[in-house]
Amino acid sequence: MSVVQIVASVLLCAGSAFYLAGTIGLIRFPDAHSRLHALTKADNLGLGLVCAGLALLAGSFRVAGALFVIWLLGLLAATVSCHLIARAALGRSIRPKRRPVESRATDHAGSPALTSRGDDAAGLRGGGGS
Amino acid sequence: MSLALDALLALALVLLALQVVTGRSLFRGIVMFVVFGVVMALVWARLGAPDLALAEAAIGAGMTGALLMLGYRRLAQHGPLRIRRRPSPGSRLAAPLGVLSMVLVAGLGASALQLPTGAGAAGRGVLQAMPELPIGNPVTAVLLVFRGYDTLLELVVLLVAMLGMRAVQGEAGPPRLRASVDARLPLVGALLSVVVPLAVLVSGYLLYAGGHAPGGAFQGAAVLAAAGVLLVLTGRLRGQAEPGWPERFGAVVGVVVFSVLGLVQHATGAGLLVMPGAWAIYLVETAMLVSIAVTLVLLFAASAGLRVGSR
Repeated sequence: MSVVQIVASVLLCAGSAFYLAGTIGLIRFPDAHSRLHALTKADNLGLGLVCAGLALLAGSFRVAGALFVIWLLGLLAATVSCHLIARAALGRSIRPKRRPVESRATDHAGSPALTSRGDDAAGLRGGGGS
Repeated sequence: MSLALDALLALALVLLALQVVTGRSLFRGIVMFVVFGVVMALVWARLGAPDLALAEAAIGAGMTGALLMLGYRRLAQHGPLRIRRRPSPGSRLAAPLGVLSMVLVAGLGASALQLPTGAGAAGRGVLQAMPELPIGNPVTAVLLVFRGYDTLLELVVLLVAMLGMRAVQGEAGPPRLRASVDARLPLVGALLSVVVPLAVLVSGYLLYAGGHAPGGAFQGAAVLAAAGVLLVLTGRLRGQAEPGWPERFGAVVGVVVFSVLGLVQHATGAGLLVMPGAWAIYLVETAMLVSIAVTLVLLFAASAGLRVGSR
């Protein structure tokens, strides 16, 4: 494996990692705005890294130039569609959620509702055993 | 490794097809159909058919997806309640129809395996005849030289589809949808000013490339029509009931140029629809590109004519 191939592999893997992160964000984030944030930011960089890796592997300036134009077009389309979707979401009064996911999760863990449910379950099990 | 990729693609295709027909809502079905088209284009590319991959991505996923979305918007506008429920009479037939389709696909696949691959096969005949032809792309040669009649009738089908739409919707046309996106937004204007000239350039290149590499009138027209769809969506182009001369000319120029050239060749004794040279092939392809693009944009605008939208 030559140096160019190694660098290209690293770029392709890094690009795929960004795509993976963006996709996880799309699935896991709570509202439209943060999902858009995850998708467009991570995928723009992911596409750029993948295009850079492929350009290195192609070894010709013509193909590298075409890949660069593809990246620019992807950036443009992602930016504008993100802007429009966010506008449409705001127009339908979908507001960004204020609190991040982590703080909500810890709130729930310490909330009395959850501990009482735990007590019920323990009581049922105890009843079955006696 | 490549076998794993192919298996993944085939599995994804089957699962996406299932999602298209069994999805919980109509909207989900349409989105899955577009994704199905993109994966299908990847499959064509893996099978070494870049012409089909281009056509599938541009027409199958892009234009058809846009038309389906437009239909969904109209349905949602006219009866928001009707699109929520899935139609029950159709779904009872779904399982038997699916089984029948599977049998059909299996039968077609089995018979495709038994097709002759030797010297008598049509594909080999085309490749052997290629050196005598003025163009280098076998797909374009099949479309215009060996099976010109089929291609001409495909153009007629598109024209009839547009006339059928006119016949169904009447003189006035359907109630107009308001432009989905305001073209006065700075980002939208910037997108249009970059993407539309680029789409014209790319469609011209695809048309030129069709002579010697993957590309051609259908792919170029789909790219051009996509630019037209963007202009319609942003309100820069609006539908109107009465077509002007550019729309009338554009809709018929493909059929007219193709059939007049073919008839002239017939009259001079060369044979019906025989292409006299590379110039004739490029002429017919250009006329076809204009016709297909204009027809697709008119279908999307659901109107007979177009005018430049006012601010």
